[in-house]
Amino acid sequence: MTAFAPYIEYARKAFAREATYRIELLAEIGSVVLRVYLLRSLWTALYAHNMAPMGLPLHAMITYATVAMLMSLVLEVDGTRVIREKLREGGIALDLMKPIVVPFAYFSDGLGQTMVHALAILPSLLFSLLLVHIDVPSAATLAAFLLSFALGYGVNFFVNFLMNGVAFWTLETFGLQLIVRWISDLLSGQILPLAFFPGWFGRAVFALPFAAIYSTPLLIYIGIIPPRQWATALVVQAAWLVATASASFLLWRAAARHVVVQGG
Amino acid sequence: MLAAYLQYWKINLLTMVEYRTDFFMWLGFTIVYHGTALAALAVTMMRFPSMNGWNLREMFFLYALWMTAHELHNALFYNVVYVPEYIREGRFDRFFVRPFDTLFQVLTVPSRTFPDGFILGCVTLAIATAAAGIHVTALTILVMAAVVCGGAGIDLGISLFVASLSFWLIRVDTLRWAVMSLEQDFTRYPISIYTRAVRVVLAYVLPFAFMNYFPASYLLGKHDTAFGLSPEVGLLTPLIGLLWSGISYVFWRIGLNRYQGTGS
Repeated sequence: MTAFAPYIEYARKAFAREATYRIELLAEIGSVVLRVYLLRSLWTALYAHNMAPMGLPLHAMITYATVAMLMSLVLEVDGTRVIREKLREGGIALDLMKPIVVPFAYFSDGLGQTMVHALAILPSLLFSLLLVHIDVPSAATLAAFLLSFALGYGVNFFVNFLMNGVAFWTLETFGLQLIVRWISDLLSGQILPLAFFPGWFGRAVFALPFAAIYSTPLLIYIGIIPPRQWATALVVQAAWLVATASASFLLWRAAARHVVVQGG
Repeated sequence: MLAAYLQYWKINLLTMVEYRTDFFMWLGFTIVYHGTALAALAVTMMRFPSMNGWNLREMFFLYALWMTAHELHNALFYNVVYVPEYIREGRFDRFFVRPFDTLFQVLTVPSRTFPDGFILGCVTLAIATAAAGIHVTALTILVMAAVVCGGAGIDLGISLFVASLSFWLIRVDTLRWAVMSLEQDFTRYPISIYTRAVRVVLAYVLPFAFMNYFPASYLLGKHDTAFGLSPEVGLLTPLIGLLWSGISYVFWRIGLNRYQGTGS
């Protein structure tokens, strides 16, 4: 248990640091509520003037979009931004000297930050319920959704980790990162269900790691992925988690050596 | 003053030539940003061909019109967003010792402002105009140019207003950010999809609807179903841009006087 103590401390510190930005958190809740209003207006108008797509009635669509919005409160926190900052300011060298596994420490730090934003989910949900009706699935589905969401959180963390890790070589990654973020928002199913993409592209997007972040948990939630396919869906997500984590590990090893060379 | 302004743009363009990679990076950035937004729109409208009577081509034009005006604002007036920072850090006072209008000086602080977004906006608008099948005459080109300038004026008016608030308030970042996201998200769709209160805000309070919805309705020969106004309302955009930036300039001067009063 003592082996985990430093990491728990990292998470607590990050939580305390992030929790000082109260106004920002309020603004975040306000922004979610505004965008929930927007998505309600948008999908209501689209469904009123067109044929509903197969298997996705308006209430399911609004549930999908609203839950995606609430998930984004947690998933848009970039817990690995700290890598970029530490690199620019040189703090990374000190961290590498400490008796800790640095990526774990950063993960804990990210988790601590995320927890603060997770607190915003409840008030956001309550205000959103004034605007939209959200379908509530069975307890089993909810459990599968939460498991899938956790796996998606992991994939998201490591995709961010890889992006920020590039900073070891170029130092300036902010632009690259924003580009990946925008593309990921689109291809992860956060903005629209991936099934809306046409033709071969529509099939290809499901084969990308981004789909493991938003699409899989959301499709479990609204029941498009039925219980008998849960296992497959979760295994695919877990595979992406292993793949992105391994890539991050390799990148980290190469990068840590890189820092030592530059410093010596 | 004009000579100084031309000199400013000369320096800007020389910087652009000097930092070519930066320029192309920012261009790539802008392309991906608007590209993902348009891709999301296109995918949605392939499934739902009508948004309150607007088809994909018309929606594309609606977006392009906003984009061009907004990017013109970014190219000419983006520096306004730095005002709160200047004030907070005490760097604002240097503008008082120089023989030019304060706002003019703010707008001409060299900050590597490239007109890349505006160039891209013009290209997009040209494509969107052709795609929407608008009969192009000298008059429509004139109207579009006036609408784009007026739209940039509306944008300036609103950002200058928010920036001027920082003469009284310490932090306006959250407010600025809220107004900005309101603009970016809510101008993407015809305002007829919103409830009445939101329509009123977008038309009369923060008149973003005059950046694209009203003029696009006029140019596309569509009926306004949000208020049932005559389509010629769209021609008022330049006037509203002038009015809003004028009011904000007066507000700016009031704030400036107050700031000087307490500062000395």
